[in-house]
Amino acid sequence: MVGVEPVVAIAHLMEASLRAVDQGKAHLTAEATDLLLQGVRAIEQRVWALRDGVPIPEAPPSLLARLEAVDLGQARPQTPPGALGLDPALSAKLAPMDREALLQGLAAGKNALRADFTPSPERAAAQINITSMRAALSAHAELVKVLPLSVPAGPQAPGGLAFAIFLLSALNAEELAALFATRGLKVRQLGRAPEQSGVLGEEVEPESQDETEAGHSGLVRVEVARLDETMERLSALIVTRYRLARAVTELASSGADTRALSQIMAENARQLRDLRAAVLQVRMVRVSEVLERVPLLVRGLCRKTGKVVRLELDTGPAEVDKAVAERIFPAIVHLVRNAIDHAIESPDERKAAGKPEEGVLRIVCFQRGSHRLELSVEDDGRGVDREQVAKRAGREVPQNDAALLDLLCLPGLSTRDEATTTSGRGMGMDIVKRIATSQLGGELTLTTRPGQGSTFTLRVPLTVTIIDAFVFECEGHRFVAPVSMIEEILEIDPAKLSHGPGNDSLAAMIQRRGEALPILGLAGIFRLGASAPATRALVIRRGGEATGFAVHRMLGQQEVVVRPLEDPLLRVPGISGATDLGDGKPTLVLDLAALAGRALGKEAA
Amino acid sequence: MSVLHVVFKVAGSEYAMPARDVLQMESFSGATVVPGAKAFVIGIMQVRGRVVPVIDLRLRFGLPAAERTVDTRVVIGLHGERAVALLVDNAREVLKLDEAQLKPPPEIVAQDARGMVKSVAQVGSRLLMVLDFARVIGEE
Repeated sequence: MVGVEPVVAIAHLMEASLRAVDQGKAHLTAEATDLLLQGVRAIEQRVWALRDGVPIPEAPPSLLARLEAVDLGQARPQTPPGALGLDPALSAKLAPMDREALLQGLAAGKNALRADFTPSPERAAAQINITSMRAALSAHAELVKVLPLSVPAGPQAPGGLAFAIFLLSALNAEELAALFATRGLKVRQLGRAPEQSGVLGEEVEPESQDETEAGHSGLVRVEVARLDETMERLSALIVTRYRLARAVTELASSGADTRALSQIMAENARQLRDLRAAVLQVRMVRVSEVLERVPLLVRGLCRKTGKVVRLELDTGPAEVDKAVAERIFPAIVHLVRNAIDHAIESPDERKAAGKPEEGVLRIVCFQRGSHRLELSVEDDGRGVDREQVAKRAGREVPQNDAALLDLLCLPGLSTRDEATTTSGRGMGMDIVKRIATSQLGGELTLTTRPGQGSTFTLRVPLTVTIIDAFVFECEGHRFVAPVSMIEEILEIDPAKLSHGPGNDSLAAMIQRRGEALPILGLAGIFRLGASAPATRALVIRRGGEATGFAVHRMLGQQEVVVRPLEDPLLRVPGISGATDLGDGKPTLVLDLAALAGRALGKEAA
Repeated sequence: MSVLHVVFKVAGSEYAMPARDVLQMESFSGATVVPGAKAFVIGIMQVRGRVVPVIDLRLRFGLPAAERTVDTRVVIGLHGERAVALLVDNAREVLKLDEAQLKPPPEIVAQDARGMVKSVAQVGSRLLMVLDFARVIGEE
């Protein structure tokens, strides 16, 4: 709109207001929002006039005056990660949206709490475990996040495991702690209590306005934690169904007529599948929403670099799972930064090269097949210089784009001699690649032509399953299993294991709290050999009965992305998927409950 | 019409697969064992972010497994949505095979190969067996 003075005048004043808000110096009052929308309409009218070639009306002086004098509200309280008063290491483990949820709860007058729970054999014996704790807590509070923590094993925490549970509740820390005193729950208050800050009362208003607005358009805002919980309950239902199916099979093999039952079972399976799909559907967000903040980012980068860039977003109706959206966004931000900072030339440089002064950045995305999203970030800049990249990496000049991308993705490679303000500080393409491949199980590709531009394309699955998992080793093989499935980790003394008669190292027993606990050797089930005695047992509960799995070494615990093993050649009971722990090699995700079933079946046969 | 084929060796014999059905070839750096899978599935590996099963073609053909050497390769084949890696003794050649060169395998060979050989091509003094990839990976 260069030279169209009426538009420039309006836009300039609007921008000043918005920048103040963007920088956190103010927040938008309803009046200011209304005024800004009037400004947008006034600009639209003038753009149409420009298009139709009719004289452009002057900017309405009353609007300009009101925009100039617009009363912006006081800035909202800042919400840096530290606002909750959490230990930074712990705070880093919370997703930004979890922190946001806690802060929003605080702002809405609830208590944000951290409850610490340490499982122990005594508690487990009294049916107090993380699952029962979650259920009990959710009656009094809203669970925002449950973080498993590795703690030094000792008398206080025999399993070397504790949980930090983040909650929002009408009860304060003392009240909640009093309710759970007998169950060994420690509760701490996070952030400020609402009664201590009078300002927060006023904050509630715009919040509730949001909700009514959302109500009008038929939308509800739901915390992802609640969806996760729904999914977890559904998983439990599916496990029960497997047991039911097995019972029906047994019934049939004993000669009973199970035709009617089988019909109901088939119907039930279909309904469960539909329900699962429906819940997954709820978690989907539009890619266009994910990219909402990109225009702002581009504007900011243009201002900093003095480059002129037109952003074209072509996102269509594609949707991805919330978890994918959260992971893919930082990758997009990085690619956009790189494109504006490194790839697109300054206006002068572009003019000299015979290109239009305005660079173009295009983000295109669409769904490919039924499971994949393809998203590309395309620029018309200078292209990636193979020789320069090779020189910086100290390698040979790559012969094709794929090899060039491999070089670009070497950790720590930056193609600028000096770090610029916006990018090139070492947080390189390796992170983008890691997000696409290790985190999401997708791929990253590059096509680039000198002087004409580059396109980075991410191909990622639409949905991913993320779980908290224990990583352990058995005869040199690494495996992971979901934390939620494991009740306890026992240290086992090989001398105290008693093997049954004629047993093939598959099963043994150990005393646990005066009861015999069956221990299945994972190495035995998987026929991995038996070079060393197992030292730990992962205890699961399956249909009310506890079973331990003997393993050699616990390696830790982390959040992993589970990729289902879809190939028919890989459908094996007890193995629910694979994950990448960061070494580029797949590690198996075990379903220990199914594995116990498989082992028992084998013994019976 | 001639079609580009990837040629690889298993236990001294030469096999071929249309290049359009091959996603990529690479040297073999190990697979993660999947206990409980069929014996010829020696594990899984990651290819371009996908997790794919690895079939040892020697085991698939009912031959004893061989030592892995520097020549050992995996040929990642595509069948519809599926991608499956085949472990072979070596793979270092692509060549064009004319459709007229492709003959049905002699019955005894077809029987012995349980349908895994689709056709046979004579190239000079060499005999190439064109693999029926779908059969190899267990599709009917």
